[in-house]
This record gives sequence, structure tokens and C-alpha cells, in this order.
Amino acid sequence: MLDVKVHSELRVPRHRRCHRHLPAKMATSIREKQTAALRRMLNFNVPPLKNTVTEPVWKVLIYDRFGQDIISPLLAVKELRDMGITLHLLLHSDRDSIPDVPAIYFVMPTEENIDRICQDLRNQLYESYYLNFISAISRSKLEDIASAALGANAVTQVTKVFDQYLNFITLEDDMFVLCNQNKELISYHAINKPDIMDTDMEAIMDTIVDSLFCFFVTLGAVPIIRCPRGNAAEMVAVKLDKKLRENLRDARNSLFTGDTMGAGQFSFQRPLIVLADRNLDLATPLHHSWTYQALIHDVLDFHLNRVTLEEGAGSEALPAGARPKKKNKRIYDLTAADKFWQKHKGSPFPEVAESVQQELDTYRAQEDEVKRLKSIMGLEGEDEGAISMLSDNTAKLTSAVSSLPELLEKKRLIDLHTNVATAVLDHIKTRKLDLYFEYEEKLMSKSTLDKSLLDIISDPDAGTPEDKIRLFLIFYITSQQPPSEADLDQYKKALMDAGCDLSPLSYIKQWKAFTKMAATPANYGNSGVKPMGLFSMVMNTGSQFVMEGVKNLVLKQHNLPVTRILDNLMDMKSNPETDDYRYFDPKMLRGSESSIPRNKNPFQEAIVFVVGGGNYIEYQNLVDYAKAKQGKRVLYGCSELFNAAQFVKQLSQLGQK
Amino acid sequence: MITHRRHGPNTSEQGVYLGASHTKLQLIHLQDTPTLATAPLPNTSTMSCRDRTQEFLSACKSLQGRQNGIQTNKPALNVIKQRSDFTLMAKRIGKDLSNTFAKLEKLTILAKRKSLFDDKAVEIEELTYIIKQDINSLNKQIAQLQQLGLSRTGQEGKHVQTHSNSIVVSLQSKLASMSNDFKSVLEVRTENLKQQRSRREQFSQAPLSASAVHAASFKSSVLMQDESRRSNEVSIDMDPRASQQLQLIDEQESYIQSRADTMQNIESTIVELGSIFQQLAHMVKEQEEMVQRIDANVEDSQLNVEAAHAEILKYFQSVSSNRWLLIKIFFILMVFFIVFVVFFA
Repeated sequence: MLDVKVHSELRVPRHRRCHRHLPAKMATSIREKQTAALRRMLNFNVPPLKNTVTEPVWKVLIYDRFGQDIISPLLAVKELRDMGITLHLLLHSDRDSIPDVPAIYFVMPTEENIDRICQDLRNQLYESYYLNFISAISRSKLEDIASAALGANAVTQVTKVFDQYLNFITLEDDMFVLCNQNKELISYHAINKPDIMDTDMEAIMDTIVDSLFCFFVTLGAVPIIRCPRGNAAEMVAVKLDKKLRENLRDARNSLFTGDTMGAGQFSFQRPLIVLADRNLDLATPLHHSWTYQALIHDVLDFHLNRVTLEEGAGSEALPAGARPKKKNKRIYDLTAADKFWQKHKGSPFPEVAESVQQELDTYRAQEDEVKRLKSIMGLEGEDEGAISMLSDNTAKLTSAVSSLPELLEKKRLIDLHTNVATAVLDHIKTRKLDLYFEYEEKLMSKSTLDKSLLDIISDPDAGTPEDKIRLFLIFYITSQQPPSEADLDQYKKALMDAGCDLSPLSYIKQWKAFTKMAATPANYGNSGVKPMGLFSMVMNTGSQFVMEGVKNLVLKQHNLPVTRILDNLMDMKSNPETDDYRYFDPKMLRGSESSIPRNKNPFQEAIVFVVGGGNYIEYQNLVDYAKAKQGKRVLYGCSELFNAAQFVKQLSQLGQK
Repeated sequence: MITHRRHGPNTSEQGVYLGASHTKLQLIHLQDTPTLATAPLPNTSTMSCRDRTQEFLSACKSLQGRQNGIQTNKPALNVIKQRSDFTLMAKRIGKDLSNTFAKLEKLTILAKRKSLFDDKAVEIEELTYIIKQDINSLNKQIAQLQQLGLSRTGQEGKHVQTHSNSIVVSLQSKLASMSNDFKSVLEVRTENLKQQRSRREQFSQAPLSASAVHAASFKSSVLMQDESRRSNEVSIDMDPRASQQLQLIDEQESYIQSRADTMQNIESTIVELGSIFQQLAHMVKEQEEMVQRIDANVEDSQLNVEAAHAEILKYFQSVSSNRWLLIKIFFILMVFFIVFVVFFA
């Protein structure tokens, strides 16, 4: 199914230019590809040989905040150490001179970074310099560095200058975000500001397109672009098409030459990128989720695959006279190596809680096994007759000892998930998130409601003001007819009483009016769209993991709007929702304005990119979709990753204007 | 370099241990297995980057050309600076380490062989000894390196210190992993020897022991016959066979003896390695703590900076309140002084 390219792996003479080696398999994930690129960079841009015999070379890694965000979810400090990185420092920190060490720089080509590099060159900080830029450096900036190097007589010390094209952050095997620093520059708020200037918009689009371009260079494939008409996504699509086209035309410098040769004959193997706009679906980011990863992102501080838990000081009573203890922060990394996380990040929460319990039980059993062995050994010291069994037991003991580190690691992971799950559960209980989730699902699927919205809003026990405004916004977005003025006033009053900030509502009102006028097909109100799917609920009171009082809700698979669009486009289904989507093929000689796709084959690989911010709910939905369809791979990307709280904040900023 | 005498059976002039870096060449003759060390592995990663070094250099050249008219070219800086002893030593140890790794790989190949007849016991023993010496000397050298690093603590900056420290730690962890590998190879070897012995017992020893018993019974019968002094013919007839069997037993015994020696050797090596392990254990522990990510320290330092800021503010407040107190006291004193001067003087 995936094309495995046959190519000779004979050692080619090393040319001055980069050699593009064809990937052995297309199936490698974007995370692996980016990690491989980073490893190559850290190995002085020579592909690392996979054996231990190579002599270690010690070097220093210098990065800026952007580089830090890119590296940190992919490579831990230990892996850096294994590659010979003895020190890793921020570019703009105070760095002492280390005269006999090569330094690898991994920075954005910004003005201040360039200045700092020039300063380093002048100060003769390191033995040699390997400059790697996250995205392409302009000629003038390169000349700035050149003149600084000349001034410092350090031209020969600047050993290599590379454009890495790695300007995106990979969080999962199939998920990436564009940036983390300065993300407010390309946020939903920035794109949808009413008073935005054309130049600002251009800058935003350029940033997004630059990162997307980097993504495709790393992926090593030229995509076919589809996008809806008349919004920010279309602008991104046009610019991306242009950029890819320019790069392909310049055959000598093209970053795609290597594998387009192979892929050209199988054009149906090219990935499809669907550029979606956040405005297509505003309800999903506000939705209360029920899957593990999305819940963590929603209620805890989950940032670049790292959870930060505030140790509640209230859990244990403090002695009266003592000074308030400094808040203890606990940081957990949720990595790809964590099997439990990989398995359960998309499961509904009650299931996760149960699995944590199970894991804990199996761990205890293993621990008991070790303990039992110990006691047997203790007994046998006295028992003369059992000496013949000793050798057998020694072997057992050896295996037990060698399995100890594994067991410890397991214990660490179980602890981690127990703590995280407990923290999530606390939030669910105090805010009655199960209630919200259930109610919102019903709103979105337009099934009958058993409780009036006003009751929930005015219930002081249920949830924070933010939860209430989220619920109401979803209600407002999904309702076919906007509620009458009198009803609206009533709701508003109830919301005000609950302490909500109503400015997001005013923006949503505008948005709704606008989408109505434009009659966006993906609107929830459109009766042609099927209801969001059924939703079944199982009451399970006797769960083991202190779940009492929380409903054991089970999700039923349904597709979110983004997934539905992808499904239509991937399988070339005809649907009024997606029929007028624009079609770009950067490999075609002349750009066509038509929306008629050239080839009618269904796509095997697709990338969904949401301009204006995405969330884990959509990601999870897409992962489930790809799992259901054999042989399809779907990647999810977004310009920024926000949870509902951040999104509501942006909406309220927009509403205040 | 430390010189050791080689423990092997052939004590020629070759049998002088010259240190890790010198033994490599000589080892190549030992075994003509394909060297894995230099075989390039297929590169599966795409090159998603662009080399702009040439562009940079040409930019430098053109800039230099432009500047040449204005100012005279400065004398080129001596690029290859004198490297510090520390770096040189670390480099040398790194090289030795990788050499030893190559040897270990060879030993692994040899040890994993299960053939009953093509058993290169001598070579394995030799290699084992050499690697053991290597590990020992590397351990010593790393300790020296650490000393060197510590001795220059005062005069260097903090970063240099961390740098050299992590070099030492990484070398140590590499050595630790290598001795671990070594240990497991030895264990494999022991296991193999055991298996070989059991196989030998199965195919040769078992009938032999039976015949030994047979012979013994004959012997006893011979003795009995001697005792009874009846027929000498039988005993004469039996004697060569019995002596043949005895000879066989002798041979077997010497073979088993040599095997036992080898086993003891290996076991003692394992014990020695154990001591090295202990030395390394605490160092490796440091390494364990490095599962963290690179952005971990940043947040910590931010917190620290905030805390420091708060403390400084507190101090500033206390200082300023003190200042007020001083000013007040001074003011009161002045008032008294003036009152004194005006009214009493």
C-alpha cells in the first residue's frame, strides 16, 4: 500500500550540497522525521552512523526559545548527552567562553539572534560554530554574520551554515503546532480582529505559510491543497501554493527534488492537505471533552506534552502559625515512550481511571512476587535440604533484580497517571463536568433535553462561570433559531448572576449573523447536515477508582465537522458542503482556478490544518477516524493549540472591540 | 601508557600490553571477521535542510574584497588554538573507549559461537584479558581526568566546569555500559561452555563413564583374579584395554581441568568487574537524573528570579524603613542640639 522505494544504498561520494536520501518507507511519522533531522543537525549535519564505535565529539548546543520548544518534546537531555552535547544553553543567557569546544546553534534568524551570534563571534566564545537556522535566513542577514565574522577574523571558524526548515513543533506522531513563542501573533484573535490592517494580515499569513512550508520540506512531499472559499484558510492556501510552486520551479535549489521523482509516477500517493478555518466550527473548541488527553488539556496546565500540577496546599491542614507553604509544582512529561499514555490518551476518562487501577494491581502483584522471592531466599539460608533449589532461585533472583529498573519505571508511570487522573477527577467532581459534557453532546446532536438550560446556568454548584458561558455559547451556536430577545435577556441575566463575562457572546452574535449571511455550508444550523451522532450513556456507580458521583459516560463515535470535511475530500465524495472547495496542485504548471480535482483517486494520506487554532478534541476525533479507515493516515496540525479557557478569552477580547 | 604482560600462553615479544590504542592493529590478525565498525549503515532520513555554507563563504569573500580597498587585511588569527590538556586527554580516552568497543564487538562474535569443534578458546581468553586491562586502564584514566577537571576548578568559568564535568560523566557512563556489555558477553561465554560440556557429556562422556565402570569392574575382577591367582591370561588380555581407558580418562580430566580453569578465570573477571561497577555506580546515578527536558531549568530559574526579586524588594523595604528611623533619630538629635545651643549656651 505504501510505496517502498527501492534505491541503492551504496555509499555515494559526499558532495558539497546536501544529498537527499530517499526514505526507505513512507510510513515513518512526522515525529520520527523531525527527530532524525535534529539528530543529523546535532551530528554536525552528517547523517549519524548507527554504531557505538564512533568517537565521541563533545559539543555545546545553543538555542533560542523557538529552538527550545522544538527540541524539548522530541529529545530529552539524556539523549542529547548521548549525542555528545555537554551543555545546552539559551542564546540570550550569559554564556562563558569555552575555547576548545565546537558550538551548534539552533536559532530563528531574527535580528536580535543574529546580533547575538555576531557578538559571540567577536568574543571568540567557542572553537568553531555550526549555525543552523530554524527557517531560511535571508541573504542580507547572512551578510551581517559574514561581516561580523570578517571583523572578528573568525571566518574559518564558522564551519557550517544551514537552513534546517524545522519551524514547527511536533507533539505527537501525527500532530503538530506551528509555534509556541509569540503565538498571540497568529492566534484566532489576531486573524479575526475587526480592525486588522492588510499588512498585518499579510505578515500573519506569511508566518503560517513559512511554517507549513517547513513542515512539507520535512515531510518530504508536495501536497495537494484543498480549502474553503472566502476566509483566512484560502489566503494561506494561495500563498502556500505559490511558495511550493516557486520552490519546485527552481529545480537546482529545490528542496523536493529527491523524492518527487519517485512520487511523481504515483501521484495518487501524494498527501492531501485540507486547510480548514476555525470559523467553520466554533462549538468544538468550547466543548467539554471526555477523553483523557483532551480533558488534561482542558482542566490542567498541559503545555508541550508536559503537565504541571499545583500541589494543593489545602489537602493537608497547615499548622496555624506556619507560614503558607510555597506552592509545590509537580511536572510530568507525557512522552511517546509511555505505553499507558499512548494507549489511553484517546480513551474516555472512566475507562482510563479503570485502567490505572488495573495497572496498579498488576504492578502490586509483580512487587509481591519480588518480595516473595526474597522471603524464600531468606528461608533457604537455614534450610539445608533445599540447596538444590538454590541455583534455580538464584536465576530467578537475577531476573528479578534485572527487572527492577523496569519495575521502577513502571511505578513512576503509574504514579504519574494516578496523580494526573486524580487531579482531573477533582476538577470533574467540583465542576460537574460530566453534566456539562452530557448536556453539550445533546445540544450538538439536537436530541431532546431533559433539563432546561437556565437550570444549569443558575445552579451555583455546577461549574465555574467559564463553564457556564461555554455551555451557553454552544447552545447559541448550535441553535437553529436564535432565541428571542426576551429569552436572551433572561439568559443574560442568569449568566450575569453567575458571574460570567458576556463579551464573548457579543462576538459570537456577530459571527453568527455573518455566517448566516454567507450561508456557510458547514454551519451547525444547516438542516442538511446530519445530527452529530448518537450518544449513549451508561450509569456505572460501582467503579473502583473513586468515581462515585461521576457518571460513567461512554462515547459513541461521531465525526466532528472537520473530520466530516476530510472524509468527503479524501474519498472524493460529492457533498454540497465541500464541492466548491478550491483545489491547488503546486506541481501543475499553470495554477488553475477551478475547484474540480484533477485526479479522482481517493487519498491515502491527509493533513488537516486548522488556521486559527485547534484542540485535542478534533485531533482525537481524527485519530479515531483514521483508525476506523484501514490504511489511511491523517495528520493534524493547527496554528496554535488552545484550550477552551484560552479560546473564551480570545473571544471576549474580540467581543470587547 | 601502562604496560602489562599478556597472560596468554604464547609469551613472545608481541605479548606486551601497550594500552588500548595499540592493541587494535594486532587484534585484526586475530580474527578475520568482517569489521562492523566501519560499515556505513543505510541512511533512512531525508535531508530536509539546505547547506548555505558556500553562500556564506562567498559572502565573506565579496565583503573582504570590498573591505580590502579601505583597510589592510589583519593578520589571520591562529585558528587552531592550543587545546587544553583536559580536552586532549578526554579525546584520547574517547578514542580508546571506541577501540575497546570494537574489541568487545569481536569478542561478542567469538563468544556467541556455539560450534563444538571450532572453539577459539585461546583467542577468547586473550581478548578477554586485553579488554579487562583496557577497562581497568580506562577507569584509571577517567579518574585522572576527573582530578584534572577538579584541579582547574578555580580558574575557569562555571560553564567550562559543567562542560568538563559532563564529559567525565558521559565517559564514565560509556565505560559503565561497556563493562556491562562485557559482563554479559562473559556470561554468554560461560553459558556456552556449560552447554558444550553437557553436550560433550552426552556424546562422549556418557559411554566413557560406562566404560570406565566397565574397566573398573574388570580391574576388580583382575584383582580378584590376582588374588585367586588362577588364570594370568585373562589379566594380560584385559590390561591394554584398561590402560587405554585410563589414558582416555586422563585426557578427559585434563581437558575438564582446563575448562574449569577457564571458568574460574571468567568468574574472577566478573568479580573484578563488580568492583568497577561499584566505583561507577554513584556516577551513573547522576546520569539517571537526566531524563528531564531542556526547558526544565528555564522555568526553575524564572521562579528563582522571581523569588530573588521578592526577597530584594523585602530587603529594600526594610532598608528604607531603617533609613527613615535613622533620619528621625538624626532629626531629633539635631533638634536637641539646636535647643541646647540656642537656649543653654
